[in-house]
Amino acid sequence: MEEKPKAVLVIGGGIAGIQAALDLGDMGIKVHLVERKPSIGGRMAQLDKTFPTNDCSICILAPKLADCFRHPNITLHTLSEVKDVTGQVGDFSVKLRKYARFVDEKKCVNCGDCAAKCPVKVPDEFDMRLRKREAIYPYYLQGVPAVMAIDRENCLYLTRGVCRICEKFCTREAIDFEQKDTDITLHVGAIIVATGFDPYDPSGIPQYGYKRYRNVIVSLEYERLICASGPTGGHLLRLSDNKPAEKIAFVQCVGSRDLKNNRYCSSVCCMHATKEAMLAYEHNPKVKSYIFYMDLRAAGKGFQEYIARGEREYNISYVRGRVAKITEDHDENPIIWYEETQSSKTKKTTVDLTVLATSLMPRRGVQELAKVLGVELDEYNFFETDPLNPLDTTRPGIFVCGCCREPTDIPESVAQASGASERAAETVMR
Amino acid sequence: MEEIKTFKDLTREVVEKQICGKCGGCVSFCSAGELNALEMGENDLPRYINEDRCLKCGICYLICPQTDTLNVELREKFGWKQPIGNFQRITSAQTTNKKVKKICTDGGVVTSLLLYLLDHNLINGAVVSKKTGRFARKAVIARTTGELIEAAGSTFSGSLHLEELGGKYTTYTPILSTVKSLEKKYLRDIAVVGTPCQINAIRKMQCLGIIPAHLIKYTIGLFCIENFSFDDVARERLEKKLDINMEDIVKLNIKDDFIITLTKGVAIHVPLEEIDEVARQACFACQDFSNEYADISVGGLGSPDGYTTILMRTELGASVYDEALRKGYIQERTFEDAEESKLEKTKMLAKVVSFSRRKKMRAKERLSELAGGEAVGGKA
Repeated sequence: MEEKPKAVLVIGGGIAGIQAALDLGDMGIKVHLVERKPSIGGRMAQLDKTFPTNDCSICILAPKLADCFRHPNITLHTLSEVKDVTGQVGDFSVKLRKYARFVDEKKCVNCGDCAAKCPVKVPDEFDMRLRKREAIYPYYLQGVPAVMAIDRENCLYLTRGVCRICEKFCTREAIDFEQKDTDITLHVGAIIVATGFDPYDPSGIPQYGYKRYRNVIVSLEYERLICASGPTGGHLLRLSDNKPAEKIAFVQCVGSRDLKNNRYCSSVCCMHATKEAMLAYEHNPKVKSYIFYMDLRAAGKGFQEYIARGEREYNISYVRGRVAKITEDHDENPIIWYEETQSSKTKKTTVDLTVLATSLMPRRGVQELAKVLGVELDEYNFFETDPLNPLDTTRPGIFVCGCCREPTDIPESVAQASGASERAAETVMR
Repeated sequence: MEEIKTFKDLTREVVEKQICGKCGGCVSFCSAGELNALEMGENDLPRYINEDRCLKCGICYLICPQTDTLNVELREKFGWKQPIGNFQRITSAQTTNKKVKKICTDGGVVTSLLLYLLDHNLINGAVVSKKTGRFARKAVIARTTGELIEAAGSTFSGSLHLEELGGKYTTYTPILSTVKSLEKKYLRDIAVVGTPCQINAIRKMQCLGIIPAHLIKYTIGLFCIENFSFDDVARERLEKKLDINMEDIVKLNIKDDFIITLTKGVAIHVPLEEIDEVARQACFACQDFSNEYADISVGGLGSPDGYTTILMRTELGASVYDEALRKGYIQERTFEDAEESKLEKTKMLAKVVSFSRRKKMRAKERLSELAGGEAVGGKA
């Protein structure tokens, strides 16, 4: 009789998936880590700093990326998607589609000569479309694997049969337009889902003026703006006039705890708004921040003290009240209209920049994935779990961790990842 | 696989057939990408600097206004329809800015739209052409109100069609290369004022999503029946024919005919056919009078003196016009009542359509002449 496979599939290369893969690998279990994007790193790679320690996000993530890459038990499958799962707990058969990168991963040294010559300019997704990139590009600077990828939607050779300029400038001969998408089959004993979140699009709340007002942005855009490797080199400049933002409003619960949108609490926003306000102050001590909140939720370890420190040392005012609407004046300064619940008065205040703390939602496409996996989603499309088996999905042998389970901060995602990897290990070692 | 058409094909199919409009699109792409295989050579025609540098990427061929590979896509993208392309509204307006009014020969609407865009940080700069001599012009990037007004004097008058008088058309190229270098200074969006062939090349670049057109957010297109290229021989011939001295010309304009205003306010009206001989050959093969792919198309044709005719084509173009109007940068021509307004606008449109038809007919004749000369049994 054939022995059951002692391997685990991890879907999603963000911090949760990475941690789960590392833990399993360290236990001596073979791991296939699948990521849709050209590099692993996920949302955490987009953040500038992390709360409650204000550590540089990529600095604490990068060693884990490198560990994943060179771990003898971990196989990375980037630009890949799970297309089909058959079998049962202990013996799953997984069909994986590996999309062509059109760059030979073994030859590319990430020198950038190709991108410097690529004539195409398209909005960069990693930098929240605040910058343009080329059609051959590194997903982000510190991305792993550290190789280029060609974007098939925009490459002029792949779409129109012209150009091939990158090929002519690549001294390593790493460009390979002959690459084809391939389907491979993996045999694993357990599966961990860690597909993460997408931010809510606040265009659905027109009274906040997102996309209509240039100085109203969302949290992830803010993270890229204030990040040294971001589109402005870390200078917090307004999108309207490139002037530094010194008076900043953070509007909480945008799309969260909202009967018309998502009724759940996104759990991380009170903390990341505080962190973002702290960072602005660290960049420029003239900064004054206002955080408009309904309830301050600071339930994690060290979180309450973090908020107290923000108020005490970083010139942050916490204003209790839901923002009714945002307008703007002639200089495109956002005006925040709100009810201050402490005094029961309606008030307005004019700021340089407004940051909307947008709700965390399941990744687009999660329904198809759930169907492929044969697991249930809850009413919000997060993966269904039960309170006493919080990391088990509705199908035996398939586990879940991180933001695809529910909105979760980094420390909690990491803890869940370790938990899920333990559950998976238990399954395959049995 | 199909062979990629390169600059060699462009030379054979466009330059040698004398239908190159000298828009500089091919050269600006090649130099913006620092491939540096092309330059504007004699008579402002594109040519190889060094053929060995050519990577045969085929992009210059695709973006040329005189090649048709991208035409279907362009038409679809802009919802092109008969007879003058997509547009939402036609209107007539003038500037409200006294300075602009003083130096502009006609409506001054283009300058005012650009002022609105600059004042509201919607652009970081505008590519405009600036008069550097009586018949010499240079393309510059205006980044302040002052620079814009300085350039406006001779540029955005009613004589819009004659922008490139003096054959300084090549200056279009260094501009787009300049744009490329400015990108590093966080220059994000620019506006370009151009002739139909220039806008067409920009739109084709944007179809491909390539440099340097990715920085161009707004396109203001000029009506264009033809441009003129004066060398000394042609100049002498024209002076003789019209019995004027070029030095005395104050303003050139095209409305129903060609209007030459001389010093002391004397205006001479010349039928358009009479000046065809100094028009650039390529213009006879161009089918676009009303700048069919611009965000906003403008020209003197159809409006009374002191006003500019405006076609709002794209959503973006219409919003710029509406906002500039709302914020008082321009004012619309007033009419007695709704009926007169309707009538006048119909007349304006009819004029634009008739000029467009004339240009299209002329181009068809010219192109079939060219085809007939090459293919046996080609239609005459």
